[in-house]
Amino acid sequence: MYSVELDNIVKRFGNVAAVDNVSLKIRENEFFSLLGPSGCGKTTTLRIIAGLEEPDSGVVRLHGQDVTDVPTHKRNIGMVFQHLALFPHMNVFENVAFGLKMRKVPKNEIKDRVKAILEVVDLSGMEARRINQLSGGQQQRVALARALVTEPSVLLLDEPLGALDLKIRQHMMVELKNIQRRVGTTFIYVTHDQTEAMTMSDRIAIMKDGRLQQVGTPTEVYFKPMSAFVASFIGEAINLIRGRIQDGILTTQDLGQPILVNHGENSSEAYLAVRPEIISIDNELEGLDNILDGIVRDVIFKGSYIEYRVEVGPRVFVVHQHSRALMQRNFTVGERVKIGWRRNEGAIIPSSGV
Amino acid sequence: MSLLGSLVRKVRRSRRVKLTLLLAPPLAFLAIWFYAPFIITGLYSLDMITRAREIVFTPSLKYYERILGWRSGLTIMLRSLYFGALTTAICLLISYPLAYYISFKVKKHKDVLIVLFIIPFWVSFLLRTYAFMTLLDERSFINNILLSLGLIQQPLQLLYTDVAVITVMVYDYMLFMVLPLYANLEKLDKSLLEASSTLGAGPVSTFFRVTLPLSMPGILAGSLLVFIPAVGEFVVPALVGGPNNFMIGNLIYQIFLGARHWWIGSALSILFIAMILVLAIIYLKKVGSVGPSF
Repeated sequence: MYSVELDNIVKRFGNVAAVDNVSLKIRENEFFSLLGPSGCGKTTTLRIIAGLEEPDSGVVRLHGQDVTDVPTHKRNIGMVFQHLALFPHMNVFENVAFGLKMRKVPKNEIKDRVKAILEVVDLSGMEARRINQLSGGQQQRVALARALVTEPSVLLLDEPLGALDLKIRQHMMVELKNIQRRVGTTFIYVTHDQTEAMTMSDRIAIMKDGRLQQVGTPTEVYFKPMSAFVASFIGEAINLIRGRIQDGILTTQDLGQPILVNHGENSSEAYLAVRPEIISIDNELEGLDNILDGIVRDVIFKGSYIEYRVEVGPRVFVVHQHSRALMQRNFTVGERVKIGWRRNEGAIIPSSGV
Repeated sequence: MSLLGSLVRKVRRSRRVKLTLLLAPPLAFLAIWFYAPFIITGLYSLDMITRAREIVFTPSLKYYERILGWRSGLTIMLRSLYFGALTTAICLLISYPLAYYISFKVKKHKDVLIVLFIIPFWVSFLLRTYAFMTLLDERSFINNILLSLGLIQQPLQLLYTDVAVITVMVYDYMLFMVLPLYANLEKLDKSLLEASSTLGAGPVSTFFRVTLPLSMPGILAGSLLVFIPAVGEFVVPALVGGPNNFMIGNLIYQIFLGARHWWIGSALSILFIAMILVLAIIYLKKVGSVGPSF
């Protein structure tokens, strides 16, 4: 059984379809991310799952049960809001206990469960603190504890790390994933930050203009993008070569030579997507299916890797090399080099994704 | 030149000097027109100013004692407090849903609705009260309609009653309740209500556990803004009230200008101010502690 199912959800605001025919199946205990640029409909999708927004058409199911017309407070979900929405007139204990009180849990049990969940989020002993006495990271964890203490079947998170600074955000990413493993609940996480999605998710759904672009594991969406949008949205850079594919060979006007690709469908128009770190660079290359001659145009040191921009005919390829290679050899601007990759290391974006 | 220059620089740098210069005009204004009369009233109430308008330094509480032993005076004082409290309560009960509705349910043109509500208050307080008198009159259209519908046989006595005084005061002071409430509810983070619903609270629980406690600052501000002027109201009971709806303002007016007994009048004024002060402090402590502490 799926934890959350969306069938053909449509939601319009005026003439704009914020969510345009989205169908999703999210598994039990999965860390699932909705990723996309702002305005892509990811938050609206989340709010529809929560019942805070009513879809114009389509069905929402939680654990197989149609909840499309069930109000939020009867859905047994937990939610962490973008700006946390902690109750300023209550202390940490009262905030966390709120959901249990609403469920008429006996007082003693409330005490025990609040204590237990505060231990999980590493806030033991903070019960009496007021919300404005807590740091950003602590408030974050109170919001998480408040949403988790009722043991919801699904936890919805709407860009909860957006307000934190980088260090705490990185820390919280690891923390969130750990907490999810410990409590064993389905997490649905909305973000525009691919690092967050990549770091924590079991699967990612990428959205654009209210439509689903691709659903897959982080490595799938990274190495095997199904559309030009996903290819360029995910990751720092990607080399996209547009051309015509016939019997495992891509021909393009830009490059003087055919490019070998995986055998598959023939297509009059497709993209080959190659990640920069897949490409090898050296003065001499052997044993690769595709080897191109080029000239180094830019060398950018980025810490753990070096970015080369290599001109091949009218095109520029982005190539990333591990910094360790610097110990052996580095290439300088204007130097003639060869770049290359294996045919099965590139991903073909079908014509439907162009 | 350099002396003047250094003086100017000193003034510019010193925050205290700047603050003093800034506060001097309003303080002077208040000192002349409020604090001095207030002190003089205090002196009168303690019998420290004689009939010959000389100050003597032998304070006495005899006028306070006389007031405390004066039953009808105390009755009027209590009635004023009761009228003030009732006016405040009715204002709150009417204004809260209004402010809530405009703030939460109206999507567009909120400001237009608020202005529509404010417009009647552009008319002078006195004129509005006079206008109300014609509505409450025995030959008013309200009575005429009720008579012609056969709902009543005799015209209703509306004017010169408690009901009239309260109704007109509510009408006159409602604005001071609506505006702080609306400002407060507008500031309220609506995602708190959504958070409440995701935690399993229905609309009623959410209202009593989240919305209401968080709107306490607005309720407090509005209540004080209505209660304090209402309790000392003088015009409304004078115009639409009868002899049985006398309020403290009318009494003080009569003692000062009718009986010309400045000593009793002063003692009554000071006593009444003290009572309001104590009540306001109790109210702020009691009700204020329910609300959020920011």
